[in-house]
Amino acid sequence: MIKTAQDMKSYKKQIQQALADSFLRSALDEFNTVYRENRPNVYKDIDFNSLRDAIAENKDSLIPFLEILFEEFKSNAQKAGAIVHRARDARQANEIIARIAKENKVKKIIKSKSMTAEETFLNTHLEKQGFIVTETDLGEWIIQLKKEGPSHMVMPAIHLSRYQVGELFEKQTDLKFDSENIDKLVKVARHELRPKFLEADMGISGANFAIADSGTLGLVTNEGNMRLTTTLPRVHVALVGFDKLLADLGSALRILKLLPRNATGQAITSYVTWIKGANQSLNTLSGKKIMHVVFLDNGRLSLSKDSVFSTSLRCIRCGACANVCPIYSKVGGHKYGHVYIGAIGLILTLFFHGKDNDRAIVKNCINCQACKEVCPVAIDLPHLIKKTYARVIKEDGKTPVKNLILSKLMKNRKLFHFALRAAYLAQQPLSRGKSMIRHLPFFMDKNHGFRSLPVIAKTPLRDIWQSLGPELKNPSLKIALFAGCAIDFIYPGQGEDLLKLMKKANIQVDFPMDQTCCGLPAMMSAQEKTAKELAIQNIQAFEAKPYDYILTLCASCASHLTHNYKKIFKEDKESGQKIKLFTDKIIDFSSFMDKVYTFPQTHENIETKVSYHAPCHLCRGLHVTNEPRALIQKAGYTYVPAKDEEVCCGFGGSYSIDFPEISSEILKKKLDNVEASGADILVTDCPGCVMQLSGGMDKRQSPIKVIHLVELLAQKK
Amino acid sequence: MGKNNLIQLMKEKAAGVGTIVHEISCVSEAIKYAVDLNRKKKLKILTCPGLDQKDRDSLQDLCKSSGMNLLKEPLRNHAYLIDTSLTWVDYGIAETGSLMLASDSEDIRMATMLAKIHVAMLPIAKIRLNTEQIEAELDEILKNNSPSYTAFITGPSRTADIERVLAIGVHGPVELHLLLIKEMKS
Ligand code: SF4
Ligand code: SF4
Repeated sequence: MIKTAQDMKSYKKQIQQALADSFLRSALDEFNTVYRENRPNVYKDIDFNSLRDAIAENKDSLIPFLEILFEEFKSNAQKAGAIVHRARDARQANEIIARIAKENKVKKIIKSKSMTAEETFLNTHLEKQGFIVTETDLGEWIIQLKKEGPSHMVMPAIHLSRYQVGELFEKQTDLKFDSENIDKLVKVARHELRPKFLEADMGISGANFAIADSGTLGLVTNEGNMRLTTTLPRVHVALVGFDKLLADLGSALRILKLLPRNATGQAITSYVTWIKGANQSLNTLSGKKIMHVVFLDNGRLSLSKDSVFSTSLRCIRCGACANVCPIYSKVGGHKYGHVYIGAIGLILTLFFHGKDNDRAIVKNCINCQACKEVCPVAIDLPHLIKKTYARVIKEDGKTPVKNLILSKLMKNRKLFHFALRAAYLAQQPLSRGKSMIRHLPFFMDKNHGFRSLPVIAKTPLRDIWQSLGPELKNPSLKIALFAGCAIDFIYPGQGEDLLKLMKKANIQVDFPMDQTCCGLPAMMSAQEKTAKELAIQNIQAFEAKPYDYILTLCASCASHLTHNYKKIFKEDKESGQKIKLFTDKIIDFSSFMDKVYTFPQTHENIETKVSYHAPCHLCRGLHVTNEPRALIQKAGYTYVPAKDEEVCCGFGGSYSIDFPEISSEILKKKLDNVEASGADILVTDCPGCVMQLSGGMDKRQSPIKVIHLVELLAQKK
Repeated sequence: MGKNNLIQLMKEKAAGVGTIVHEISCVSEAIKYAVDLNRKKKLKILTCPGLDQKDRDSLQDLCKSSGMNLLKEPLRNHAYLIDTSLTWVDYGIAETGSLMLASDSEDIRMATMLAKIHVAMLPIAKIRLNTEQIEAELDEILKNNSPSYTAFITGPSRTADIERVLAIGVHGPVELHLLLIKEMKS
């Protein structure tokens, strides 16, 4: 059964096991790639963004009224002979269903796929009561035989190979199969399960939609087992989450345009079935089915009133947030959720299955934004994951020491910067004057050795700024630099290059000295208060002069300053205007060079081949995609595309320190792809990515140089 | 969209999901098609719930002369036996190649769920472009206070649950044939 780690130590063990499972690794990695590559084709005929926004808006308008919709559904469904129940929690739902079974003298039960039934552990409950329960969805049947939970919401047995399935089937049937032939394995299920449908007294299904104004359930499936489950037995019970309630058919049809496309790449599934009331059944005396619908609350109604988390109820369980997640592709389903898997699983686990089951897994998000981009109902998943993490910490009543120290240190800029300077000295014996530390000292965990570590600069950018002569006489533009910790303390050279470029164009750059860390690391470790304090410090630091732009060389800072500052002060109406003034001025380096600076096209052709890594917070966070690639070419370099340019590099700030074993796997794939592209130089526009990528290249002693785009452009005369 | 384009789209999209599509001129041709198909596949047993008596009789005759069996309803009693089912469907949805079928009758459900092969007949005039264009009709069915069971069927039954490899015919029909009938009025 499901054993989700409740502390980091056991979670780490599970992760190691997952990483060592070679079938899982290759299956999920391939799935991740194939899913992303197919997407443009799947959406070529319809406009994903506008449909997504329409669905999200519609769902948001309904979420506050779920109880009213429930009453409406109930009254309509009952007119057509269904009996409608509501269950406060999982236990009550299971009890209601067991009672229905008993009242109807049921012995054998068949089930079609229902994540909601997984959520309540319905099978376990029914089996304890002596009922014989058979899952009939192929994937669900396989994991039932394996006695496991689903590893994906749509493909529950994605973690198993055909050979493992074959073995299970052989045990079940006492026959021998050619496991190579998947078609044959599928036919085994058809053959074995047919009689179960015919013998069963009761069928249990879930539902994708519960349409209030008619009392109809909508079910979206492919195999045909749901249709048999809801037709053959005398009794049909549908277990449905409150969140599945919709006002009308139109809302359901709209979702139907995205759900199959997003889940399995189909324009529509083989079967979409609309069931209302007690339909004809020649298996009962009355000639009608015994039809029950059980609505499950289990925390949904209180979620619907939660100002932060109510949007999580928009979820239509398409599974896409797992499909594109780089972490899911490395450690797989069972280690990336409890019952619900993937980004949404990291969130819902807290509310449906408690903090103990979420404590470890909720930390395992690198904040790459990939899930958010594909979510068909526009849930801000990465943001909610951090909010969930904060809630777990709060409910636990103790903040991890690491997070506390970080928080304390960051709040006080002077102390923080003092600590960074001190780190320079501490590193000296290890770096021996080089710019990177390739071999870690013996006392450090060897998992961290996958990349060389950067060395803190001897003099931070802020200390040399004035000596670089930033003042211009009659500048055409006045901008400010938001340096961010990495540029300031590790790569001041990138800041110098920026200044060089700007001077050429008569643009004056100021370095407001009171600026501090953007606050993203505090947010990542769920230190919301600290994140807010840092935001205030920064906004104040830049208030002094009316800059035309606030430029940053760090994609993560740019995205955090642009989006998260607004979120941090969402409730705070007074500061709204002030925040907007600040965030509107933020611009990332590539956009600035392309739109404001209008970097000129060179006519020379440089043979040096340059490949590009798209930082998560630039390509998804800010939707800046063409500009950096165009700049590389404008500068005359030969741009060579690498595979998966927009996939995360595995850095994620403190993520790579918390989960080095996963970070290194993500990095490895990235570097392999870059090496395969034939590039001489790898360019990116985030110092964090530079750190990770150059650390990795250095460790594998690759000749490929990793630099920031500003360095590439500044090389031009 | 013009009528011909609509038919073309329906055919294309249905074929794209593995439905075998033919245009034919009348119901008797459909009956012959079903029996021929059954013969070709070396199958024996047919059902035809929902067909009117005249058509049922001619299917019965053809079955007899071909050494096949036409099951009598209720089909529940012969659920294991059904090879091929010939039924009407109510609408075609061209954009996805789907068929809408009101299956309130248990026999229609049994026939279309348990058969190895489902042969569906659709008058050409009942092809609509997309779900928006049948929304009103479906909504009327759903808002009626009586029970209902309505299906959109798109291609044969399928799964990708083992290693994400597509396999056809897991629980429902292994083949779906769509016969577009020219001469019928809507
Ligand atoms: S932000 Fe990235 S790492 Fe986090 S859950 Fe989403 S896809 Fe996974
Ligand atoms: S959160 Fe979004 S992407 Fe994830 S399963 Fe739900 S709807 Fe799909």
